[in-house]
Amino acid sequence: MRKLSTAFAILVMVSMVMALAPAAMAQGPVKATPGQAVKMVLLPKFLGNLVFDQAHEGALEAAKELQNPEPLQFLGPTPQDSVAGQIEIVTNSVTQGVDAIMLSNNAGDQIAPAAKAAREAGVTFVTWDSPIPSAEGEQVFVAQVDFNETGRVMAEMALNILGPEGGKFAVLSASPDAANQNAWIAALKEVLKEPKYSKLELLDIVYGNDISEDSYNQALALVDKYPEMKLIMAPTTIGIAAGAKALQDEGLCGVEGQEPKVVISGLGLPVEMVSYTLNGCAPQFALWSFRDLGYLTYYVTYLLATGAIKGEIGERFEAGRMGVYTIEKDPTREKGLRVLMGPFTIYDKTNVEAEAK
Amino acid sequence: MMMTSLRRSIRPEQIRELILVLVIIALVLFFGTQVEGYYSSRTFTRISTSIAILSVVAVGETLVFLTRNYDLSVGSIVGFTAFFIGTQLSFYKDIPPLVAVLMAVGTGALMGSFNGVLVAYGRVPAIIVTLGTMAIYRAMLVEYPGNKIVQMSALPAWAQEFSRVNVFQVGEFELRLIVGIALAVVIVFQLVLTYLPFGRRLYAIGSNPEAARIAGFPYQRIVFTAFVLSGALAGLAGFMFMGRFGNLTVVAALGMELQAVAAVVVGGTSTMGGVGSAFGTLLGASMIGLLDQSLLRWRLISEFWRDALLGLLILLAVASDRVIVERLRTLWARSELQLRPSIAPVPHKESVHGS
Repeated sequence: MRKLSTAFAILVMVSMVMALAPAAMAQGPVKATPGQAVKMVLLPKFLGNLVFDQAHEGALEAAKELQNPEPLQFLGPTPQDSVAGQIEIVTNSVTQGVDAIMLSNNAGDQIAPAAKAAREAGVTFVTWDSPIPSAEGEQVFVAQVDFNETGRVMAEMALNILGPEGGKFAVLSASPDAANQNAWIAALKEVLKEPKYSKLELLDIVYGNDISEDSYNQALALVDKYPEMKLIMAPTTIGIAAGAKALQDEGLCGVEGQEPKVVISGLGLPVEMVSYTLNGCAPQFALWSFRDLGYLTYYVTYLLATGAIKGEIGERFEAGRMGVYTIEKDPTREKGLRVLMGPFTIYDKTNVEAEAK
Repeated sequence: MMMTSLRRSIRPEQIRELILVLVIIALVLFFGTQVEGYYSSRTFTRISTSIAILSVVAVGETLVFLTRNYDLSVGSIVGFTAFFIGTQLSFYKDIPPLVAVLMAVGTGALMGSFNGVLVAYGRVPAIIVTLGTMAIYRAMLVEYPGNKIVQMSALPAWAQEFSRVNVFQVGEFELRLIVGIALAVVIVFQLVLTYLPFGRRLYAIGSNPEAARIAGFPYQRIVFTAFVLSGALAGLAGFMFMGRFGNLTVVAALGMELQAVAAVVVGGTSTMGGVGSAFGTLLGASMIGLLDQSLLRWRLISEFWRDALLGLLILLAVASDRVIVERLRTLWARSELQLRPSIAPVPHKESVHGS
């Protein structure tokens, strides 16, 4: 009996040591040293979109926690001038001697030369929300969600809304140059090949350029062009809100006591979508927290700029209230590293009101 | 004889408007064969609502064009007033609709008067002034304190319903309120331009500014008023914009000044001033809106070719129209010359031509 208990004790101890060993052998997650001065620029795709304002708030929260004496600059172009404007801001920031740039890329690979020049000048370069497709000039991409996951979530919502019989739908995207939009649509097309989604048919992809007026007109044009279409999938917060307004204005959905003819889904902000979800125009949509994305991006960039992490695969670090993250190879691009935030929240009648407040 | 009396009663500009009507009919016939279910009240609603806001802006632009000036700031004025009114309404939900409209028109008029002062009294070329104010007003919109984005859900119920309201409905056919407002604006300003002294003076100033000044027209006051009215109409359009799109971003109505200029020019208003009408501008806006909306629905045309094709068609319309109107003008002028010698020696025979 005694032997047994000794053996048991040894077993427990061994297993404890084994459990502890990996943690002890690999370093613990890197923690940031607050109070260091890093001149940082948060560069969204363009100004005047609520989601980017939320990301800005999150970054400010992190800046306060990290007690960075340098104020955070929030600079962005107008949507019409997004590509040229982003390149210009990156270039100017470098000459003005900033230490780090956080970019939500809207310029595809056109931004790569400017990003590389920034790296050569010793500037820390992190992307968030939308990466540089070739990963040139970029150290790490802070991904809101797994891009392949976005395709699956869209297919899943389409199936939920259209029912097991499936049906025809179209995509209302932002601009044809947006790397994240294109990656999501590509992922959606891939997922649609699976037998589970075989009843879903993608009719067309149109672009509203993240401008309300254009998206509004595009949504109605889709309705007229494809009378058999039952659903518009808009993976952009501006597109989904403008599309929902258009469908509602034309009485295609949201009419009391009538089955909706066409509805909209995609990625939307609860505060903008709440009325459409309640009246049935947008029965389901998904999103992640842009505030958290801004917060996490700020942490990653601060750690890189202060040399606490190098931007290598396998590095683990702690990002304040959000916990521990690991840098990994980005599986959705040929090259490039990412930090994956996640997850999606799917909104419908049951939870949208609480979130919109 | 018939031809002569026709020439006397119709001006080349009216023929031009007639041609525009014919082009529009031809386009409708063509797209009818290409787009499924094109001949329906739905198509009318789509196109009419899509050009309502543009038409209001373009009528204001017409007034400025008539005086041989430009107003490039209208897009920014539309955007700013839409934003301003939207923000006010989301903070103070009990502002009555009429007060909101007046606020929008007033804001627009104020912005227009700034242009007017600089152009009419400051003698700065309009293109420079309005290019500057275009940027200034847009920057004001971006920096406007308080709410960064206007959200439809924050607006009062009547504003959310605004774009769905019909003036009347006969069966499937609907005339939306925003279309009604646009038509009213066109009719009012067509009458002003045709019958009021102010309207006639706009033409006089545009045709020959020097002569108008020497003749004692209050040149500065008239040009100033044209800019104020252009701003006021852009303000009204801003209100309509807010009601139609609800969720507003800082790019609201960006580039609308160019669409307005296109509508004005396609509608037959001369870039050299003195020629044009509110009705022609409505036709110009209708043609552009018709092309734009129809191309969106034409399955043969891909997304990326649409803008290029739209530009090409507008160019074709304007160029062919120019050629025809120039021909007509020469024809008219020649017939005048032929008539004159016969009139001059025997003036009493003039009655012959009238019959």
